[in-house]
Amino acid sequence: MKRYSNHIIASLLLFIHINVYAQSPLLNSYSAAAPTVYLDFDGTEVNGTIWNEQGRIIAAPSGLSSASITWIHKLISDHFKLFNLNITTDPAVYERAPVNQRTRIIITPDGSWYGQVPGVSAIGSFVWGDDTPAWVFMNALGNNPFFIAASATHQIGHTLGLQHQSLYDGYGVMITELSGGENNILSNEAPLMGIPFYKQADWKDGHPSTGAQNMQSDTAMIAGAPNYIGYRKTGEETASSENAVKIEKQEPGSLVLNSSGNYSYRLFDISGRLLTQGSLKTGYNEIRTNPASTGVLVLQWSGESVSGAQKIIN
Amino acid sequence: MNTLKTILSGLCLLSSLLLSAQEKNAPAELPYSNKIEVSDQALESLFHAPENISMELAPGFRIDGKIENKSNHGNSVISLLVKLNNAAGSMLSISRYKDPKGGIYYTGRLLKLHEPDGMMLVEKDKHYFFIETQQRFLVTE
Repeated sequence: MKRYSNHIIASLLLFIHINVYAQSPLLNSYSAAAPTVYLDFDGTEVNGTIWNEQGRIIAAPSGLSSASITWIHKLISDHFKLFNLNITTDPAVYERAPVNQRTRIIITPDGSWYGQVPGVSAIGSFVWGDDTPAWVFMNALGNNPFFIAASATHQIGHTLGLQHQSLYDGYGVMITELSGGENNILSNEAPLMGIPFYKQADWKDGHPSTGAQNMQSDTAMIAGAPNYIGYRKTGEETASSENAVKIEKQEPGSLVLNSSGNYSYRLFDISGRLLTQGSLKTGYNEIRTNPASTGVLVLQWSGESVSGAQKIIN
Repeated sequence: MNTLKTILSGLCLLSSLLLSAQEKNAPAELPYSNKIEVSDQALESLFHAPENISMELAPGFRIDGKIENKSNHGNSVISLLVKLNNAAGSMLSISRYKDPKGGIYYTGRLLKLHEPDGMMLVEKDKHYFFIETQQRFLVTE
């Protein structure tokens, strides 16, 4: 009898464990694209890669709330709106993607097996076909969702073959490997492949870390060989997620949304607490909310081919 | 006649300038300090080697180590991870990719994390080379 009860307890613990590891909302930035970047927030085991000098690596789950994951996914997706590339949190989508056009970004608290860095990746691994992942280490980023998104975007850039955008003097001597946008101190912009944390970061054309004589056009390299991702067709970008669900009217206790299709939606407060959820039909939809729910809310929606999120100041 | 020659010369100059501009926009090749050519057969033999590998991939370029992992990715990629005994704990990671038309391609790298240099397998004009380069161009933060 005791043996059976032990089995039942073990099964329950396994069930709880599986559920703890399956928390992330399933988001896709552009489901029409086969090339895929999988943001893995759920923890995993890594073996058989260049990272495994000391044996297998157990990456703990991020522990981030659904709202934070949704927000990070949106920030990252915004940087790839130009490209025929799907940013997903769905492991099944990753498994279906072409093996030589996919990468997994493991977002996990601790990177002590490698060192105290915000993240690490193997340059060009998107096309290697052997599922070598890249890493974002949250503890080194103060668990700040904005920094996590910036670091993840930077690492994705590396997996797509990009080197750092660097700063050189007039003689071609490197001043700093990671440009922070210093070449124009009045500008509020920095390269995503430099230091993307403190300014508005974007893809740039500039001199990479391989030498001042070289030129790296970030967008051309992402889209072109050997990734062969390409760009989205004109007009698809705006139809994909940005305008899929629009807020038409906002009042205490009520949100009126204009939906371009049939989607499921979830509304969170900034702490990640689910406030309400349901389904949207094409056209106008009213969501009843608690009038006491004020501050920053996150609305997340998903359908068969598109998903997205937006911040709402209530 | 002279005007025609001038126009033709101008066109030639313009096209050469355009070509050189395109070359500058092409992805930069990695700077390297050394390169070793390896044959397709030598690379293929890695995938049929026993768990304890000892073979010469090219004259003077020897691999002694143990296969730590061999895995399939989809139906088209087989990957090997070899821990080397003769290069102070370095790992050789190499993948064999078969495209839908039956073409075979290899990608790989040989490195030890946090070391200044590493090697990368590159293909040029159907020849494979291990090039030695700074590791920050292969693995980076």
